[in-house]
Amino acid sequence: MSKLLVTIDGNEFEVEVLGPPGPDGFVRVTVNGEPLRVAVSSMAAPEAIAWAIVDTRPQELIVDHDLRWIQSSRGRHGIHVRDLEAAVARPASGDGRIKAPIPGLIRRLMVEQGQLVEAGQPVLVLEAMKMENEIVAPRAGTVASINVKLGQSVKLQEQLVEIA
Amino acid sequence: MFKRVLVANRGEIAVRIVRACRDLGIKAVAVYEPGDMGALHVRLADEAHPLPAPNSYRDPDEMLEVAKRLGVDAVHPGYGQVSEHVGFARACEEAGIVVVGPGSTVLEQTLDKVEAIRRVAAAGIPTTSPSTRAFAPDESEAILAEAEALGYPLLVKACSGGRGRGTQLVREPDQLLDTVRRSSAAAKAVYGNDHVYLEASVLPSRYVEVTILGDNQGNLVHLGDRDGSIQRNTRKIVEEAPMPSLTEAQRETIWATALQVARLFELRGVTTVEFVIDGEGRHAFTEVKPRVQVEHMATEMLTRIDIVREQLRLAAGEPLGLTQEQVRMRGVAILCRINAEDPWHGYMPSPGHITGFRLPGGPNVRVDTYAYAGAEVPVRYDSLLAKLVVWGATREEALLRVHRALQEFHISGVTTNLGLLRKLVSDDEFVLGHYTTEFSRRHLMDAPPPDDNLRDLAAVAAMAYLSRAQAGRPTTPPAFTSGWHHDSRRLPQ
Repeated sequence: MSKLLVTIDGNEFEVEVLGPPGPDGFVRVTVNGEPLRVAVSSMAAPEAIAWAIVDTRPQELIVDHDLRWIQSSRGRHGIHVRDLEAAVARPASGDGRIKAPIPGLIRRLMVEQGQLVEAGQPVLVLEAMKMENEIVAPRAGTVASINVKLGQSVKLQEQLVEIA
Repeated sequence: MFKRVLVANRGEIAVRIVRACRDLGIKAVAVYEPGDMGALHVRLADEAHPLPAPNSYRDPDEMLEVAKRLGVDAVHPGYGQVSEHVGFARACEEAGIVVVGPGSTVLEQTLDKVEAIRRVAAAGIPTTSPSTRAFAPDESEAILAEAEALGYPLLVKACSGGRGRGTQLVREPDQLLDTVRRSSAAAKAVYGNDHVYLEASVLPSRYVEVTILGDNQGNLVHLGDRDGSIQRNTRKIVEEAPMPSLTEAQRETIWATALQVARLFELRGVTTVEFVIDGEGRHAFTEVKPRVQVEHMATEMLTRIDIVREQLRLAAGEPLGLTQEQVRMRGVAILCRINAEDPWHGYMPSPGHITGFRLPGGPNVRVDTYAYAGAEVPVRYDSLLAKLVVWGATREEALLRVHRALQEFHISGVTTNLGLLRKLVSDDEFVLGHYTTEFSRRHLMDAPPPDDNLRDLAAVAAMAYLSRAQAGRPTTPPAFTSGWHHDSRRLPQ
């Protein structure tokens, strides 16, 4: 039995999950008090959910590992899930470290150490898969360190810049 | 006909060429760079030979050396890589190896796009207005001066390659040099040529292209027209054939002009002539692509002519054997390029391991791809993963089918632009068929999809949350976790 607050594209839904699945494979839930039955392809992990049937409505889905979005065949929705019964809410991530989202080559550096940057401001250009990819600041702040040089090859998840 | 053909490329186009060779009873000889050994084009070929170093696919000297050593009759370079390298084509010809693609004389005339436009204009054909010459990316002052003369907005175009790469619209002078640098870098990465030129822009405009087949006797037929107006992140992603909203009279004129251009350059094999159409419906010649194009499948669906097969046949010196009246253009074909990229995050490429891959099926649906479940999307190559093309007797039928096929297409493990394509093909402007190049400015990804049942998704999101909580919390009663995730969703009784 769990009570969760699910926000999808700004719309709130209170979802109550009423225990494990029944012999028909469906879990009973209520959404804003309305009873529904839900079957999902796998409960191994969020990203293992490839399809779901809600009542009689089947659909194929992709769910983000970190539960930031859910994608139907029509598009992607931003989600947020909060456990209404958990005592402490998880703190929001304040990580200002920019890591390489893809291995590649540093083509350009657009900021200097100590510079003030705004959220979304381009900080460098990473060339990978024959494309130049602009890497932007995840939040506003000061460039605390630049960990790469122009022309340097970087590995996946290698730290590039830190914003403090 | 050839006995053995070297497939001098990789990815989906190499797979396409291997298939065409085998359909003709020709032995397909594949090559692979280090790390690309298990790629599909290698697995499906009759012979596989290693290339010594990374970047060999686009190294003309290396490719020539391999072709000579293996003693192949012909080389098919596809598009990109060495396909537009004059020196490579000439050296092959001198070595007695046929190039299935543009020969050195055609390349010499068409590769300088500014000169090609001038020549077409001299023949009395309307053309776009290019800069006076091509530029190296560091000729900042000359580029700025030319731009001032042409006026803004204008287009920056790469001398090699097409609008799939390296063509960008510049609206303000202060964006110019940065755009030149990016276009140049993109073209250099694919074609090894960093020169660019400028072209006065036509806004709103539509891009139409006409594919032409020609034999060594100078016989030519056209295979109808194709629309290539829609770009995303400066790359074409959706194309359709024929172009919607053209009158029959406009079409006939464009076809005739394309043939006229083909005669002017004595084009052979498979080539495509491209035009820009302005708001008043006037067309202007812009480029010749003397090689097979990424989007050739759309024309194949429209005409039911196997273009790569024809290309091999024509290169072997066989006659066209087809009159213009015998080219039947029926229905509507829509083509989508599926890229391994993240349209939600600035089109960042998404290499990695493909964990799930399910193709759409059913009548009049075709996919060309090098990917499969378990395949790697290498970080070193282009992000084009697959091309989907559907056909319908009418445009309505084709629209419903492309929608359906995109919904069926499932790829997991890497992020793809499938979500963007689904939105695009259901966008009102696209559905009406009145779109122009300005369509590329529409912000399709910003708004969440409107027609989903959010209540259902909330229920699924709750289940996803619990699945994670469950995985991270072993104290959950075993009855809740065991036996509930793989073959059966039932709990142990």
